[in-house]
Amino acid sequence: MARLTPRMKNWLTGLGAHIATATSSGVPAVVVVESATADSDDTLRFTLSAQQLSYVRANLAENPRVAIGPGGIGSVRAAYQFKGNGLIEGSDLVVTVDEIYSTKPGPEAGLRLDVLPFDDVLTFESSRWRDDGPPR
Amino acid sequence: MRLGNDVAKALRTVGSGGAVVYLATSSLEGNPNIVGERFVTLYQEEYILIAEMFAQKTRVNLNENPVGAITLAHPVKGRTWEFSGPATILQEGHADGEVWEGLDVAEALAEWGDWATKEPPSEVPPDIRPPALVQRGVIALRVTHAADYHPERAGRPLSLA
Repeated sequence: MARLTPRMKNWLTGLGAHIATATSSGVPAVVVVESATADSDDTLRFTLSAQQLSYVRANLAENPRVAIGPGGIGSVRAAYQFKGNGLIEGSDLVVTVDEIYSTKPGPEAGLRLDVLPFDDVLTFESSRWRDDGPPR
Repeated sequence: MRLGNDVAKALRTVGSGGAVVYLATSSLEGNPNIVGERFVTLYQEEYILIAEMFAQKTRVNLNENPVGAITLAHPVKGRTWEFSGPATILQEGHADGEVWEGLDVAEALAEWGDWATKEPPSEVPPDIRPPALVQRGVIALRVTHAADYHPERAGRPLSLA
């Protein structure tokens, strides 16, 4: 099970995310949301508009895998990628995260964080960034 | 499809604050990947070029499934744009005269194969600046479809000529 840190949750809930889905044959399509809710340490909830649901419903029905990057300036300052399985619940996309990666440019690009001890992930974050989320 | 000056301006703001896009790719089995990219430009009106700086999964995906989708991430300012189409990685070592989707590979690499020299990222704050701009080619996407990602218009075609 992947475990989101407080900083990860703060960026996602504060500024939303770009959420990539794909057909089962690998054609990507992205929806962008401006906020999110963390239901638990590994579960994110995104409320989609009717049009967004229409756009990605077919993809998710045939292929639940999603990839998520933090929205807005989080695309630079919160260099993470989250992967997991998505499920439509009403108008919400609920994602159970099972992989977390650093996307920080340089030698740490692609470093898988969810396999590290949680305290090591916290140390990784605090040694690289000074914030605990987007500017308030 | 041909894209106009608005797109060129939106993508090429390096030097005045920086534009960031997300590039989404997928494995052939449908495992998507999305990564923020900072060094990006519109090229010859229908290609979007991105500095390839060791985007490991992107490379694996494009080698087996050469398609991608690019969304404008920051600054957006109402430009809720998604571009998609065939995508690949251009790098030194291609055969002489290699052409990809109508794009002259050597010409593109000559212009954008050394981003750090052409457009040094001096405006990037030190805490998020890459320790070194090590580039190993250029990711190229030929835009064949443009769509809106605004929540109320998600997926609807856009005309940006």
